Amino acid sequence: MKNKNIYLRILRLVKPHMFFIVLSLLLAAASVFSSLYIPVLTGRAIDEMIGAGQVSFEAVRHILTLFLVMLLINGFATWIMTLINNRVTFKIVHDLRNRLFNKLHGVAVFYLDTKGHGDILSRLISDVERLSDGLLLGFSQLFTGVLTIIATLVFMLTINGWMALVVILLTPLSLFTASFISRKTYKHFKKQAALQGSLTAFINETVGAVRLITAFDAKEREAGKFSKLTDEYARVNLKSLFYSSITNPSTRFVNGLVYTGVAILGGFLGIAGRITIGTLSCFLSYASQYTKPFNEISGVATEFQNAVACAGRIFEFLDADNTVDVITSESHVTEFKGEIDIKDLCFSYDKSKKLLYDINFHVEPGSHIAIVGPTGCGKTTFINLLMRFFEPDAGEILYDGHRSDSIKKAVLRKNIGMVLQETWLKSATIAENIAYGKPDATRDEIVEAAKKAHAHSFISRLENGYDTMIAPDGGNLSAGQKQLLCIARLMLSIPPILILDEATSSIDTRTEIRITKAFQTLMEGRTSFIVAHRLSTIRNADLILVMKDGNIIEQGTHEELVRAQGFYYSMLNSK
Amino acid sequence: MKKLLKYLKPYRKECVIAPAFKMLEALFELFVPLVIKRIIDEGIKKGNKDVIWQSAVILVSLGIIGLVCALIAQYFSAKAAIGFATGVRNSLYDKILGFSYENVDSVGTSSLITRMTNDINTAQNGVNMFLRLFLRSPFVVFGAMIMAFTINVKAALIFVVVIPVLFVAVFCITLITIPMYKRIQGSLDRLTGHIRENLTGARVIRAFSRGDSEKKEFTDENDKFFRLSVVTSRISTLLNPLTLIIVNVAMLILIANGAQLVDSGILTSGEVYALVNYMSQILVELVKLANLFITINKSLASASRISATFELSNALKDEGTLTLKDIPSKENILEFKNVSFAYPGAGDNSLNNVNFSVRKGETVGIIGGTGSGKSTVINLLMRFYDVSNGEILYNGVNVKDIALSSLRSVFSLVPQRAQLFSGTLRDNLLFANPQATEEAMLKAVNMAVADNVVMAKGQGLDFAITEGGSNLSGGQKQRLTIARALVKGAEVIVLDDSSSALDYATDSTLRKNLKSLGNTVFIISQRIVSIKDADKIIVLDDGNLDSIGTHAELYEKSAVYREICESQKSNEEETL
Repeated sequence: MKNKNIYLRILRLVKPHMFFIVLSLLLAAASVFSSLYIPVLTGRAIDEMIGAGQVSFEAVRHILTLFLVMLLINGFATWIMTLINNRVTFKIVHDLRNRLFNKLHGVAVFYLDTKGHGDILSRLISDVERLSDGLLLGFSQLFTGVLTIIATLVFMLTINGWMALVVILLTPLSLFTASFISRKTYKHFKKQAALQGSLTAFINETVGAVRLITAFDAKEREAGKFSKLTDEYARVNLKSLFYSSITNPSTRFVNGLVYTGVAILGGFLGIAGRITIGTLSCFLSYASQYTKPFNEISGVATEFQNAVACAGRIFEFLDADNTVDVITSESHVTEFKGEIDIKDLCFSYDKSKKLLYDINFHVEPGSHIAIVGPTGCGKTTFINLLMRFFEPDAGEILYDGHRSDSIKKAVLRKNIGMVLQETWLKSATIAENIAYGKPDATRDEIVEAAKKAHAHSFISRLENGYDTMIAPDGGNLSAGQKQLLCIARLMLSIPPILILDEATSSIDTRTEIRITKAFQTLMEGRTSFIVAHRLSTIRNADLILVMKDGNIIEQGTHEELVRAQGFYYSMLNSK
Repeated sequence: MKKLLKYLKPYRKECVIAPAFKMLEALFELFVPLVIKRIIDEGIKKGNKDVIWQSAVILVSLGIIGLVCALIAQYFSAKAAIGFATGVRNSLYDKILGFSYENVDSVGTSSLITRMTNDINTAQNGVNMFLRLFLRSPFVVFGAMIMAFTINVKAALIFVVVIPVLFVAVFCITLITIPMYKRIQGSLDRLTGHIRENLTGARVIRAFSRGDSEKKEFTDENDKFFRLSVVTSRISTLLNPLTLIIVNVAMLILIANGAQLVDSGILTSGEVYALVNYMSQILVELVKLANLFITINKSLASASRISATFELSNALKDEGTLTLKDIPSKENILEFKNVSFAYPGAGDNSLNNVNFSVRKGETVGIIGGTGSGKSTVINLLMRFYDVSNGEILYNGVNVKDIALSSLRSVFSLVPQRAQLFSGTLRDNLLFANPQATEEAMLKAVNMAVADNVVMAKGQGLDFAITEGGSNLSGGQKQRLTIARALVKGAEVIVLDDSSSALDYATDSTLRKNLKSLGNTVFIISQRIVSIKDADKIIVLDDGNLDSIGTHAELYEKSAVYREICESQKSNEEETL
């Protein structure tokens, strides 16, 4: 995405808040004007104090009244302005996060898989954060910075042209210093960020594998690699940290030069009687503050560069295509009978390698289909296609004669229940998890479902029973228990089509047999796909699909396949 | 907390130099208003041009000295802070890698990662800012006050009032907002958690069409985050106008007072100027001090989390001294004697009085239901945990008497969770044994029935595995972890339920291959087929040893075993 486009789109984010931004601008003007007027007043007051017995109290009182008004305006305007700026930024962040999260649910599962979860997470959290930092600084410092520069110039020129000239001529020196340092720093920061990235990745991976490292006694080796990385990081970090901390003292020094220039010229003009002491004091005050807005603006520039990069990543995600729900004319089926036709189905992740091809079969309502085949033969991909997580490259899937892409995904998925190979539970209570597919289920229904899935006994043994909170990664449950809950979740709303993807592989066999029985009742009259290894299941299936390398190489009943003496037969005999 | 300070020790010099020079810099800044006062009172008023030239020279010199001091201070503080962080980082990493399973269980991987990354960075920043500012800012505040007093005691009295008022204002607002920022962080953490959960659960959420309720949950938390941010900013943004108003009011009083004093001939207008100037210096420094306070507060929180991690004592003592060379081979390579074990914090024993012995070269199957203690046997065998009672012998020697690294070199483990590192397949295999040759690696791949995985990817051992092995299927990962274990080439191979994602044909080939190696092999499984050919099958039931024997023997004598068999209808013809 071109930077120009990104700027435009950032502006579009800001646009709804135009009223507040204009208000903020006006307040900024008030704040800047009053804060610059205060030194003028201080100077005038000093001028009224010529010496012993020569003080005009009337004039001083008048000046100080104005002083009081200015300081109140200044405080009030600054406060309201900051509040508005913060609020606008927070609101933009809030809306942006909501949009991004909606997007997360809009894009294809495939997209999430390929982008990587960490990447998407960082777009939603840290990129948005950095964009907001950039915007906030932009609002609060860019406005006031530019205004301060202009207003100071105007103030100075109206008071004394020569003095103003010194400030104006010497300021570029400060600007140059600031930009030089920020350029230097940026380079080192980039290097540091890259190194920090690899350091973090290394930590993530190895700390996540402490057990493995222990088992392989690889501690010394990993620690050695790590200390090399940290040494390198420390070296780069020292540079970037030092360079960036040069900025303040250096600009302070340059500032000091400007200050000195003003003091000398002021001194001579003072002696010549061309300016008053108050004017000098006012100019000194301006000189000491004049570089500040320049520094702030250059700070904003760096920050904004970052923010634009982050915005680019955010917009890229927002621009990702949503999955198309209904492609052809919408069919109005709501409840499937369970008839399925697969015709010439093809799919691949990247077009050079076919993952699934020429899949053809027909399923009668209520029949049971066993999918068998070696690991990696395409079973999981096939399931993803059935559920419309992926769209086929070619061919079609027909449910009760309706093309899958003519049925709304919500409807389609309501009609298909599955227990996935990898269990996923929400970090909510056990009851909420079981009721995930039917949020309005009563406690009795939930308990009933848990009983059917043989999860009730272990749940009741937990301290808080059905109200036990599940830890974020299901950490407080065993793999078997997690799977039992996934099965219970399915028990509550039994759809007409079932997909059981190695559902029982990590549950101990005695529980497994009970579950199998429960499944059999569940499967009764329902079309079911079972990715199974157990011969009893396979043999009882109405149709066995034997998959190999992305293709169905054999299909039929157990007897038919044994008779054919093909791949299935050889698999049987491999024992 | 004090323990962390030792990482600053090598930088003692830096820790003295940095604040000292920072203070010097401040000292020079304090002189500037006096120089200006001189320009006004001695130069302008008396028409003395020499004074102005002199002052110019003084001002520039003060600036240069200040700059040099500041650069020295920044360099040394950065050096100390980074040195500190690097020291902490390396030792913490060492500490974490040395953690026993029990330690990892109790702290959790993700908090360990946070300690290593965010917490150390925050602590580093804290050290850096502290070294720079902890002396400078108070010094400027009180220095400015003292300077004011040297000018005129009566006029300077306002400083005595303003400084505490400013302190109170700045620190009240800071203290009020610190816990509010914590709440905001908590809310952000929940947002992050929710997003992560929705990423991993994308399929299930869509399968159950719960996208809308997930979105609502997110929006609610997001609203909360927004409200918290707004409320907090309402208070935190008070700081700036409030301090400005206080200081400006003080200036107003200073000028009003000054007017009286000048009129009575006690003060000059140059002195009034200097006093006003000192007042603004105080404001600038107090705001810096408040920021320092926030930074330090955050850093202290991080530092205390880091030191808590350091203070965790390793549950496993590596006090054994014997190496494998010291231990003569015996007929029974491994033996469990009256072993009982309870996981820390768990009430019940996971293993109860278990006895068995294993001969060199035997294949041992371990079977039993979930929670029967199968994996526990392995965890104890490899001494990831220590037994609660009884002893485990390797060639007749208690495993506690053997140096941990020697003991672990006895085993090639294929853990339950198939975990690979990002990097090439070769890197992953070399992880098990850095000296492995190309042939040995290819052979291991072949033995692990992972040839077709390697072929399919078309890059041989150079195939790049992505983070978390996301470009491999579960079964492929499992086979590669088996290959990795074989590359290690240890005496005893342990498969901890690590063929669950393999189809039966692959599983069976794998077992045949393992058998041909002649090693002692442990196979833990839930599937009868995986272990039925073992020389010895150990049946565990709820932490108790039910029986030991061959498939045929057990089928006769063990009700538990028979039940498992029945449930799997496990005979040759009926499994695929």
